[in-house]
Amino acid sequence: MIDKLLIISQAAEYLGVSLNTLRRWDESGKLVAIRKEGGTHRYYREKDLEVFSSELMGFASEWIKNGAEFPATFYCATSSIFNARLTKMENGLIQKPGFEKLYSLIVLVAGEIGDNSFAHNIGKWPDTPGIFFGYNLEERKIVLADRGLGILETLSKVRPELKSHVDAVKVAFTEFVSGRAPEKRGNGLKLVREVIIEGPIDLFYTSGDAEVRMKGLDKVFRVTRGQNTVRGCLAKIEF
Amino acid sequence: MKLQLEKFGTTLISRELGSEAFRAFQPTLRELSKDEELEIDFTGILTLSPSWADEFLTPLLDQLNDKLVLLLSDNLSVHATLKILQEANKKIFKIKS
Repeated sequence: MIDKLLIISQAAEYLGVSLNTLRRWDESGKLVAIRKEGGTHRYYREKDLEVFSSELMGFASEWIKNGAEFPATFYCATSSIFNARLTKMENGLIQKPGFEKLYSLIVLVAGEIGDNSFAHNIGKWPDTPGIFFGYNLEERKIVLADRGLGILETLSKVRPELKSHVDAVKVAFTEFVSGRAPEKRGNGLKLVREVIIEGPIDLFYTSGDAEVRMKGLDKVFRVTRGQNTVRGCLAKIEF
Repeated sequence: MKLQLEKFGTTLISRELGSEAFRAFQPTLRELSKDEELEIDFTGILTLSPSWADEFLTPLLDQLNDKLVLLLSDNLSVHATLKILQEANKKIFKIKS
């Protein structure tokens, strides 16, 4: 069977990016187009686009590091768009064999991390508002990211003694403290930590140069200093 | 009085919507007579997050104390959320099976 070829405008629509972005990605080698013999028009295999758009971590980290464009289907500009897409993911998970009960904890973890991005950055987004929210239920993977202030800057308003990203992320996951004090908030990430420790869900979370990796059996909560410094927050949930 | 929580939706995640639900419920809450219990039924809830619940159940607990009764649920997110709220608020919910 011959693979279905899409012209550049169809590929742009498929991925939710502009024609110029596709031309740029072609020139840089990020997503190389096909050219028919002797022709100059760009074509794309639908299957290649599907594989390309499954690179969730790549898109999310390039976006928060360099502001790189990504397929629009992963962008939630507002909290209500995020909630709608989360409900859609929930529907998919409920139908997945083996997840009839566990789905609610996975949605809770993703929901808290995503909602945190909106709650702590409202009115303060440094440039692009909203979050990246991508998932692949076949690969059992969810990626969330934001280009917000990050945990340290958010918490240092109420805990000025916090000096490092590592200390700030530790506080966010272990203490009942909110970046929006005196509002009484800040229990979400604590529950995320507890759910991950007890359940068959893995988490990678990073903000600034702080990293949390909770993976496999006998998970422990530990915050370490990573090689990279990221803007805002980036989380990968695997189950 | 019994409140079917699913009237506010089946996926209850954001603080914003939890707070909105609490405000929307206030006129109904005024119909609760003195000494009457308010029972919260979680039937139909798919996911409940601590952020939503902290905006809805925490202030209800402050208002009603032991007149707030939560009906037992086997949903894992409801279970986990109630546990963390009790820990954060240092107050125990009255739970009825």
